[in-house]
Amino acid sequence: MSAYIIPVIFLVVLLLSFARRREPYGGFIDGARQAVDLTINVFPYLLAVMVAVEAFRASGASAYLANALEPVLGAVGLPKELAELMFLRPVSGAGSLAILDGIYADYGPDSYIGRCASVIYGSSETIFYISTIYFSQSHVRRLRYAIPVALVATLTGCVVGCYLLRFF
Amino acid sequence: MAIIWLIMLSASLGLMIFTDPAAAVNSMITGAHGAVELSLNLLALYAFWLGFFSLIERLGLSRGLEKLLRPVISRLFPSSDTETRKFITMNFSANLLGLGNAATPMAISAINRMDTGSPHATTDMIMLTVISATSLQLLPTTVIGMRATAGSANPADFLFPSLVATVLSTAIGIIGVKICSKIFDRPRRNSRRAKADLADNPSTVLPLFPVSPQPKRHKKRERQSKRKRVKGGAV
Repeated sequence: MSAYIIPVIFLVVLLLSFARRREPYGGFIDGARQAVDLTINVFPYLLAVMVAVEAFRASGASAYLANALEPVLGAVGLPKELAELMFLRPVSGAGSLAILDGIYADYGPDSYIGRCASVIYGSSETIFYISTIYFSQSHVRRLRYAIPVALVATLTGCVVGCYLLRFF
Repeated sequence: MAIIWLIMLSASLGLMIFTDPAAAVNSMITGAHGAVELSLNLLALYAFWLGFFSLIERLGLSRGLEKLLRPVISRLFPSSDTETRKFITMNFSANLLGLGNAATPMAISAINRMDTGSPHATTDMIMLTVISATSLQLLPTTVIGMRATAGSANPADFLFPSLVATVLSTAIGIIGVKICSKIFDRPRRNSRRAKADLADNPSTVLPLFPVSPQPKRHKKRERQSKRKRVKGGAV
C-alpha cells in the first residue's frame, strides 16, 4: 500500500505541472541545482561527526559505555543485550543498522530481544546527526536543551514500546 | 554539539592509545571515507527530492499544505512566518512518509529562515529539531525489510508498539520543549509576558489571511458571491 503513495503523488504532481504550464522539466532542474550547494555546505559537519563516531566504535569506547549502561537498562525493563544499539542509535544510522542486523542474526528477529530492537530502531532517529545537519548553515552553535529533551523523549518512548511488546 | 564531539573523540583516542594505537588513525580515516560516500549518496537524494519539491512549490501545493496545517504548526512554532511554516510543513510531510533524507533540506531552510544571527537556538528551532529527532515516521520500512530478510515469520508484528513509542516520544518531546522554554528562557520573561498577551489575541501575530493589499476587492467578491448564492437559492 505505502509503496504506491509516493509514485502516485509524483505522477500527479508531474501531470499537474504540465497541465498548468509550470514547466516541470525546468522546475526539477532548478530544484536539483540547490542540492549541490547544500551538500557542499553540509559535508564538513558530516565528516566531523563520522570521524568521531568511527573512532568511538573502533576504540571500543561504545562497548564500554554499553556495559556500564546494562544495569540501567535492566532497571527500566529492557534486555541488556540492547545496550550498544541504544547507545549508537542516536549517533550513527549506519552503525546502529549494523548492530540491529547482528542482533537479528544472534537472537532471531522474532525473539523478544529482536522485536525490542525493532521497536527501538523503528521509533527513533539519529538525534546527533539531525541536530548537526539542521544547524549547519545557520549562525546557531548552542542548541541548549534540544538534545537532552530529544534523548529523554526517545528513551521513554522506547521503554513504553518494549513494554507493550509483551502483549502483542 | 561541539562538546559532545570533543568528548567522544578524545575519549576514543585516549582509549586507543592504550589498546590499539595503530587503529586510531585508520578508524578516523574510515569515518572520513564514510562521510564522502554518504555525502555523495545524499547529493543524489537531495537533488532528486529538491527537484521534486520545486515542482510542488511551483504548483503552489506547499502553500495549500501550509494553510491546512497552520492551526497546528503556528501553535508549535509561535514566532514562525508563512514561508517558514511552509518549509516546516514540507519537512513534517516528508518525515511522516518516511523520507528522512527529503525532509532534511526542508528543515535546513526552515532553520535558516528562523536564524536571528545569535549563536543560541531559539525555542522554535529547538522544537523543530526535537520533533524531527523523536521520529515522525509512521512506517519503519527499513526495519520491516531487514526483519523479512532475517527470516521473520511476521516482519511487521512490532508495528503497533513501535507506533505508540514514536507518537509518545514526539508528544513528550513537544511537552518537554514547552516546559524547558518556560524554565530556561528566564531572561526573556518580559517577552514571554508579551507572548502571552499575544496568545490571548492571536490575530495580532498571525493574521488568518495574508494581509491583503486590496481589501476592498475582497469585500466586493464576498458580496458578489453572496448575491450569487442568493440568486441560486431563488432559482
